[in-house]
Amino acid sequence: MKLQHLLTKDSKTEFYYEVLELIAGLFLVVFLTLHILFVSTIILGPDVFDALAQGMDAYHLGTIFKSLVIVAFFAHFIVAGRRIPTRVREQGIVWRHAKLLRHPNTWAWVFQVITGMAILVLGAIHIWVVFTNSPTGAMGSAMRVQAGYLWFYIALIPLSFYHAGVGLYRQFVKWGWFPRKPVGYIIIVITLTIIAIGSVALWAFMQLEVS
Amino acid sequence: MSNRTLTFNIFRFDPYRPEVAPYMQSFSVEELDGMTVFVALNKIRETEDTAIKFDFVCRASICGSCAMLINGRPQLACKTLTRNLPKKITLMPLPVFKLIGDLSVDTGAWFRHLSLKTKSWIHTDKAFDPQVLEERMDNQTALDIYEAERCIECGCCIASCATANIMEDFWGAAGINRVARFMIDPRDGRSGKEYFEVIGSEQGAFGCMGLMACDDLCPMELPLQMQLAFVRRKMLGLGFKV
Repeated sequence: MKLQHLLTKDSKTEFYYEVLELIAGLFLVVFLTLHILFVSTIILGPDVFDALAQGMDAYHLGTIFKSLVIVAFFAHFIVAGRRIPTRVREQGIVWRHAKLLRHPNTWAWVFQVITGMAILVLGAIHIWVVFTNSPTGAMGSAMRVQAGYLWFYIALIPLSFYHAGVGLYRQFVKWGWFPRKPVGYIIIVITLTIIAIGSVALWAFMQLEVS
Repeated sequence: MSNRTLTFNIFRFDPYRPEVAPYMQSFSVEELDGMTVFVALNKIRETEDTAIKFDFVCRASICGSCAMLINGRPQLACKTLTRNLPKKITLMPLPVFKLIGDLSVDTGAWFRHLSLKTKSWIHTDKAFDPQVLEERMDNQTALDIYEAERCIECGCCIASCATANIMEDFWGAAGINRVARFMIDPRDGRSGKEYFEVIGSEQGAFGCMGLMACDDLCPMELPLQMQLAFVRRKMLGLGFKV
C-alpha cells in the first residue's frame, strides 16, 4: 500500500463514474437516434419537419433536450474519456497490441476512441451552430446544408453512429444482459440503417429549393 | 498430408544481457503430422539452439506454462497445431508479465500477487472439525464453481487485454473470474461490503472496457464475458447498498 493510494482510496468514486458512464452513454444513444429520426422527417417534406420542430418548441422539449444534451455530452467525455490512453507510451502499447492481436473488438475500440475525439470537436461545433440558429426550421437547415455544411454532416453522421453503436455494444457486453454475438449483429444492422436514413435526409435537404 | 517446411521467427532477448537489443531469429523446421508449436520448439532446441528459453510442463493444456504470442495472439504452444497456421510463424513472449528471456515469462509471481490481492481463499469463522462430514452443496453451485476453477492461469486473457497492457495493477479476466468463484461459494462468509472493497474498483470489475479479447482467446474457453458481467452486476447492486 502506498501513501497516495491509501489516502485516495474511495472505491465509490469509480462506482459512480461507472454508473454515470452507463446512464450518459445510453441517454446519448437514445437522443442521437431520436435526433436523426426527427431530422429525417425532412424526407416526408418540409411541412412535416417544421410541424414537428414547432410542436417540440411549443412544449419547450427542444430547450430541455438541448440542455440535457450539453450536460450529457461533456459528462460523457469526462467519464468515458478517463479510459483514453493519452500518454505516448500507452498509445504506443495500444497500437502495437491491436496490430499484433488482430482482434475485431479491440480495433473497434481503438476507432471508437478516435471517433470520440473527432465527435468532441465536430459535435461541439454542431451544437453551437444549431443553438445560435434557433428556432430550427426546414429552410434554415436546408440553407446551412447547401451552404457547405453537407460535408460536415457527411463526416459527423457516420462518425457519431459508429461511436454510438460500438459504445452501446460494449455496454451490453460489459453488463452481460444479452449474448454478445447476436447483439453485435443487431446493432450493426440498426447502425447501417440509421446512417442510410441520415444520408437520404441530407439528400432531401440538398433537393429543397431555398427561397 | 504434404509436409511443409515451416519458418519460425522467434523473439530473442536476455534481460541479463541488456546490451544486446531484442531481435527476431529465424529457424526452419520440417512439419510433421499432428505437430504442435510445442513440438516444433523442442525440435529447434534439440537441433538448432540449445539455449532458447520457453516454458512447458504438461504438454496437455493443463499447466498453462507454454502460453505465448503465436502470430501475435496469445495461445498455448502445446494446444496449437502447426497445420492450422501459415508457413511463417512468429513467436513472441506474452506481454504484461515479467520477461525471463526469449519466450519465457514469469506468470507465477503475477498470479501469486493476484491471489493475495483478491484474498483467494475461503473466508469463514467456522472452526474446522475433521470428524464431521462436509456440508452438502447444491450440485449446480458446485458445477458453477468448477466452471470458474477450470482456469489454468496461463495468462492469455491478461496478455490479450488492452487495459492490462497499459494498467499495471488491473486484475483482468483471470482475477475477476477468480473472485466470481468465491462469490458463488456458499462456504465463503465474506459480506457484500467486503467483496465491494476487494473488486469494486478500477483494478477490478470497473477496469474492464468490454473488449472481450479474453473471452475470444481463452484457451480453456471459459465463459469470461458472463463471469465479468456477473461480478459487474453484483457490484452495481452492492454499490448502492454499501
